[in-house]
Amino acid sequence: MATSDKLISVKQLSKTYNKGEVVALNNCNIDIYRGEVVVIIGPSGSGKSTLLRSLNMLEAPTKGDIFFEGVNLADKKVNIDLHRRRMGMVFQHFNLFPHMTVLQNITLVPTKLKIKTQAEANKTAYALLERIGLSDKANEYPSMLSGGQKQRIAIVRSLAMNPEVMLFDEPTSALDPEMVGEVLSLIKDLAKEGMTMVIVTHEMGFAKEVATRAVFMADGAILEENTPKALFDQPVDPRLKDFLSKVL
Amino acid sequence: MSPTSFFNLSFLPKYTSFFIKGVEYTLLISIVSVLIAVIPALLLALMRLSKSRVIRSISGIYIAIFRSTPLLVQLALVYYGLFNLVKIPSYHLFGFINLAMFIPGVVALALNSAAYVAEIFRAGILAVDSGQNEAARSLGLPASASMRYVVLPQAIKNILPALANEVITMVKESSILSTLGMMELMWAAKTVSATTYITIGPYVLAALVYFTINYPASKAIDAIERRMRRGDKR
Ligand SMILES: Nc1ncnc2c1ncn2[C@@H]1O[C@H](COP(=O)(O)OP(=O)(O)OP(=O)(O)O)[C@@H](O)[C@H]1O
Ligand SMILES: [Mg+2]
Repeated sequence: MATSDKLISVKQLSKTYNKGEVVALNNCNIDIYRGEVVVIIGPSGSGKSTLLRSLNMLEAPTKGDIFFEGVNLADKKVNIDLHRRRMGMVFQHFNLFPHMTVLQNITLVPTKLKIKTQAEANKTAYALLERIGLSDKANEYPSMLSGGQKQRIAIVRSLAMNPEVMLFDEPTSALDPEMVGEVLSLIKDLAKEGMTMVIVTHEMGFAKEVATRAVFMADGAILEENTPKALFDQPVDPRLKDFLSKVL
Repeated sequence: MSPTSFFNLSFLPKYTSFFIKGVEYTLLISIVSVLIAVIPALLLALMRLSKSRVIRSISGIYIAIFRSTPLLVQLALVYYGLFNLVKIPSYHLFGFINLAMFIPGVVALALNSAAYVAEIFRAGILAVDSGQNEAARSLGLPASASMRYVVLPQAIKNILPALANEVITMVKESSILSTLGMMELMWAAKTVSATTYITIGPYVLAALVYFTINYPASKAIDAIERRMRRGDKR
């Protein structure tokens, strides 16, 4: 792929907590190209969330750089808010705003940032809700919705910002099993449309199906990356072999 | 001294108006002080949560000073110090509230209360799930807008009951104003006691009045708080 297709480039990223006592990321390097769906797998505590959250600077790196569309987000002079608009993020616990209706959740940021008028934002919101079959919930509060509905709304809330990339941190881990499918199928649809995505997940079947590339992390480092088929079927690293034997 | 002297309320019909005005003064100055404290308290709380260490410590020092010195000392400093420089004309509100006394009282109580209310705000803000701020920030909302539109509206629920409790605290603490002759409830008791030579009765009445205001109020706040908690679903 041409270098111009490179959307995110992580260079020698390290992150420590408690004054270096906890090493969450240890010299990670990864490039994300436009149109890619990268899944990140690995045991608990391996640094998957930290890596994902570093991509939009929810975690500030201890060392290293993160280039997004050629801009180094780790540079303190960069206005991070402008770049975050273009990177959607979906959380394990949805993080819908409970004091706002579904419609307000989706339109808050586009209107407050004056990207859209309220009318324009509403129109976009309704179109997105229509797409996920939840337009009848526009004026409900999140507490009235099921987990699967909340997560799908959280996803379209991010989509309303027209992001270049979507970051998912275990989007289905907090869901009852019967609701996992509806969320995964929405993510698959986005993949088909060519949305660039980075997905931390424990759903190995889904990872294999949706990913164009799979990354295995352990102890804060990226130990192996490959096409999902190769990574799952012909693992090389002993820790990956061990991990797969436990989760598959 | 016989036990009956506790219940010697023979001063009553004649001096009832002292107590009524005293209660009004007490309630007014307590509520006004806490309301005025809200703005500086919010500022102090936001400063306390700031990324800059300098800003954090400025707020921290203010809070430490006002929480670690007696209100009576703060009151004296405000009244004899600050309002020795700033003169307030003697103007009577509702006929019995002398602004030259009331305003220094409010300022002292509000400065003191701001330190406590700041901690109420801070705790209320910190009690909001950090994922709320993260979601707002990840959509591109700047920190201040996230605080204003996402975090604070949710923190209010944690803050309001504690703020109401702060008013109750002020109703009690404001009795200290009697030392400077501000005509609140404690001053009424003192004055009636001195004029009638009935030593205990007026204080017993004052205690009863404080209790009948504060106890039901704090019970009501507890009930409202419990109700709000129950309605809380994520
Ligand atoms: N705020 C923090 N303070 C201290 N340590 C942290 C913090 N956040 C993460 N860590 C530590 O960093 C390491 C990596 O954590 P991270 O959350 O990225 O792991 P993960 O791979 O996402 O795990 P999981 O699968 O359980 O979500 C862990 O050892 C974790 O305890
Ligand atoms: Mg994680």
